[in-house]
Amino acid sequence: MNQRVAVTGLGVVSPLGLTPQALAEGLAAGRSALSASPALGVLADDRAGRVDKIPVRPWLKRRKDRKLMARASELALAAAGPALAGFEGDRTELGVFLAVGREPPDDGESEAALAAASRDGKLDADRLAGPGRDRYPPLLPLKTLPNMALAHVSIHLDVMGENGAWAGEVGAGQRAIVAGVRAVAERRCPAALVGGADSLVDLGSARDRLRLGAKGPPGEGAAMLLLEPLEQALASGRRVLAVVEVGSGESDGEGLLPQITAAMGALGAASVPLELAAHIAAGCASSLTLDRSDAGDVSAAISVFALSA
Amino acid sequence: MTFELGPRAPSPWGWRSPRAPVPTAAFRCEAAVNNIDLDRFGRPRVVVTGMGAVTPHGIGLAAAWAGVTEGRSAIGGITRFDPTGFPVRFGAEAGDPDLEDDRGWSIPESVAHLAFDLKGRLAVTAAREALAMAGLPRLGARAGVCLGSEAARPSLADVARRLADSEPPDAATLARMRPDAPTRLLAALVGATGPRSTVSTACTSSSQAVGEGVLRLRRGEVDAMVVGGVDVLVDPIMVTGFSLLGALSTRNDDPQAASRPFDADRDGFVLGEGAGMLVLETMASARARGANVLGEIDGFGCSCNAYRITDSPPDGRGAAQSMSAALADAGLNPEDVDYINAHGTSTLMNDASETRGIHKAFGSHGGVVRVSSTKSMTGHLVAACGAVEAIYSLLACRDGVMPPTANLDRPDPECNLAHVSRTAERQKVRRAMTNAFGFGGSNGTLVVSALA
Repeated sequence: MNQRVAVTGLGVVSPLGLTPQALAEGLAAGRSALSASPALGVLADDRAGRVDKIPVRPWLKRRKDRKLMARASELALAAAGPALAGFEGDRTELGVFLAVGREPPDDGESEAALAAASRDGKLDADRLAGPGRDRYPPLLPLKTLPNMALAHVSIHLDVMGENGAWAGEVGAGQRAIVAGVRAVAERRCPAALVGGADSLVDLGSARDRLRLGAKGPPGEGAAMLLLEPLEQALASGRRVLAVVEVGSGESDGEGLLPQITAAMGALGAASVPLELAAHIAAGCASSLTLDRSDAGDVSAAISVFALSA
Repeated sequence: MTFELGPRAPSPWGWRSPRAPVPTAAFRCEAAVNNIDLDRFGRPRVVVTGMGAVTPHGIGLAAAWAGVTEGRSAIGGITRFDPTGFPVRFGAEAGDPDLEDDRGWSIPESVAHLAFDLKGRLAVTAAREALAMAGLPRLGARAGVCLGSEAARPSLADVARRLADSEPPDAATLARMRPDAPTRLLAALVGATGPRSTVSTACTSSSQAVGEGVLRLRRGEVDAMVVGGVDVLVDPIMVTGFSLLGALSTRNDDPQAASRPFDADRDGFVLGEGAGMLVLETMASARARGANVLGEIDGFGCSCNAYRITDSPPDGRGAAQSMSAALADAGLNPEDVDYINAHGTSTLMNDASETRGIHKAFGSHGGVVRVSSTKSMTGHLVAACGAVEAIYSLLACRDGVMPPTANLDRPDPECNLAHVSRTAERQKVRRAMTNAFGFGGSNGTLVVSALA
């Protein structure tokens, strides 16, 4: 009944590099992409794994739409574009399943409005309705909704099929990929983009992490995998980068997550997608099984392996 | 086994392709006749055994259903903060429930901090009602929780504190603001240690959360799922932000007439808040424990518009795709649906786009199937609307009563549907469809029925 699922496209945007190969090579070389971030200068540790220039422009339908995008949305689209680049099938039913983190920061856009709405260090409802409102960016509420990364991928890449955006930390990445693998395996959609994007490098997010007791510097990144039924991929001559399955099982040791976090900082909802992408880009020399769900799930471990295996 | 051509073809789990055949009625009945626990495609049937709601009409399912079937608007002036000077000074506020009435479901100490805000209290109250109705014992590893929820918005006091001293809120406040806070809270409340997930697709969130629950039950991953959604939006920052977007009605002089989906004089939506929770089980599980089955989730579909962040596509293509997918998943034809609880936000674009979507998905039946939008009375519950409106749809099937679209005095010719307007109507509702369409273009549709 269920079909085997192949990974036929891969896109990565990470502090270690902007391609899957660059990510894999950076990790293999033990390179660190952490550097001092001016935005975090007030913190005891000002390091972050930041992507300097997110290569999103080639994938935008309208350049002005970038004004609507928080960093997580830019990361998601910049990873999804290359993952889907070789796909020639109908995108009407192409699925998209994303892990989206907790909520994209507004990159300081609201600060001017909120400062104008303050009186004696307190936010004042009267002033929010007056001078605050005058400085409030009208599209800000939409920019900071968690599902905007999904929306931008769908809009700019014409993806119209089954979809979902899962909020949370590391486990959200696992959930999104599992949902996409199952959607393809169960033939609910003919192919699907799966992955995650997250950005924790702004001051607000970094402070929140510290307050919640998180260790280590923050990071950002995105990885997207294009999934197709294995038979369909082989029949159409597509290059199969890996085979992916969902089943019961435990993680193979620590996987690549400790290396990824050490090299690029905490990546939240993008962690599992980047971990899988790095393994696939490195050639899938061995099978890798991950179960990073932060809650009990059933048969949710993800295994990736080379086709020949 | 014979086949006839249909609009879309479900695989055992969903659709196969838009052009593949749908099984005939004769084939569909075979599975049901042979095994009452399986649907027409041989999948486990997913039934509803508990429902709970807190809506602007009041606390509890009875208040919610009475409010919409009486055609009563629950929209009024904002009381939660002083809205003087704001461009919009009304909303659909939910009551603030008392968590003392625990109905046997007390909140574990480990997550008590997550129930300190209104969002947590709404979620817990609706879930307790659903669980009490379902008569379930404490759940375990064969049960999960999937909710639609957005990140909580910081209070004005928290924002001000942040501006003043740049210190983040305390850890408990931060934990409450995470989108998955209500999910973690309810999982602990009910003792569910199975799958736990939080869908954040704006207004579509809880429709997709119900859908995820259905898929997990069909796969046999779990025996029961608590699904639903919660949102709290009537706060100064949301009112400011959405009014600047031009999305909100500004009918400050007559709030009760402000939400008027499909009406020629509509001018935007009304922010609301609330929670809706459902207990889903497989039919086999419900029968085995002698549960009272309230209804069935027959089908789920979703799609993306791939159009614009702020606008709906004028041709309704994404909406139509979502509705067609749900019909296909249920193995139904358009004529099998008697009533649609529309997304119907009362914005110019959504209502016209949804109308075209209905006509596209339903063909000639699009002008026959009865349609109403309960947002005309409850306002827009955003992440909670999919679940709350699924509950209304199940109750419409159970009682044979279709709640109306209030304030539909002058139907927009662009919204040429068979409206249920101003007062509820009695009619047998074999199956109902409910739509939820989100900012950014995520669409979700559920098809539900009362158990025959």
